[in-house]
Amino acid sequence: MINHPTNGLDDVVHQRVRLGILAIAHQARQVEFGFLRTTLQLTSGNLGQHLTVLEKAELIQIEKGYEGKRPRTWVTLTAAGRAALRDEIAHLKQLIHQVEQAETAPTADQ
Amino acid sequence: MTHESAPQADGPHELLAVVRDLTHQVRVAQRGTWFPLLVFAVITLVAIPVYRYAPYLDLFDTCRSRPQHTVCMAPNPTQLGYWTVALVLAYAAIAGFYVRQSRRRGVGTPIRPYVVVGVALAVLMAAVSIWLTFHPLIPVPADPFSTDPVEIEVGPAAWLVNGLASPIAVIALALLVLARVERNWALLAYSLVYLAIVMVQGGQVIHSTSPWFFLPYLLVPAALLLLGSAAFALIRPTTEVPGR
Repeated sequence: MINHPTNGLDDVVHQRVRLGILAIAHQARQVEFGFLRTTLQLTSGNLGQHLTVLEKAELIQIEKGYEGKRPRTWVTLTAAGRAALRDEIAHLKQLIHQVEQAETAPTADQ
Repeated sequence: MTHESAPQADGPHELLAVVRDLTHQVRVAQRGTWFPLLVFAVITLVAIPVYRYAPYLDLFDTCRSRPQHTVCMAPNPTQLGYWTVALVLAYAAIAGFYVRQSRRRGVGTPIRPYVVVGVALAVLMAAVSIWLTFHPLIPVPADPFSTDPVEIEVGPAAWLVNGLASPIAVIALALLVLARVERNWALLAYSLVYLAIVMVQGGQVIHSTSPWFFLPYLLVPAALLLLGSAAFALIRPTTEVPGR
């Protein structure tokens, strides 16, 4: 069986918004719901759905609390989330590499 | 409106570009460079009255006296005490500032390595300064009361060790760590220029009988720090996390 990089892509992570959430959480260590919503330009409901998918896959941890009277939701990447992000980026780079190689390789009819 | 970091196509190039752009946005939001520079400028300026008016405490028995004449062969230990305490307090204030900023902006900041290295360098500075009091790298004149000017040859090793004993240089070394933590090229360039200036300035001997002879050693770095703080404050992000 040919091990094509697309075989390694995880459907949970291979999605623009969820990959973005993981990338932000990775750099920030801990990120607030409002920052994610503003940065990713999503509605609260849409962001909440993506966070639920990532939380169910155990890629992030969600903590809810208050700062003063304002409710706060903090998102932290889990070890599995870090690994999933690393794998996704590696697969994406591999895909690009393979496409570029295919484009530069001489074809049989040339 | 389509945001730069949110292209609609999900090809590998676009997804990697999203990751890079978002990572950059987070890094910018994590920065608070102006505050550490301002704190260090303040403690450098506060050092001026300490240098001028703090009485000499001969803790290490380096003073030699003749009638109406006392010569001390090492800097005032009060200055060392001031810098050690001031630097540790400065790093505590900086840590508090970054934690508050994290809460306000909604992104965590990995500030701990900077604070740990800063405090460790402050302690190392104190230890090296005390060690240098008993093992001076610069030749000490046989007659401490001699008023003849002495030509001092300082090798690179002595220059480096003296740099580690300098609070002004120690601040710059820790700023290099902050530049790494914040992935901030502008701060890296600023820290290197600042370090070069203070190391060159620290190697200059000022021959003066004025009780204010030390002023350039403190005013130049304080001015550089204030200018740096103002420059980084002008380009700082002001985003605050909106409520849910």
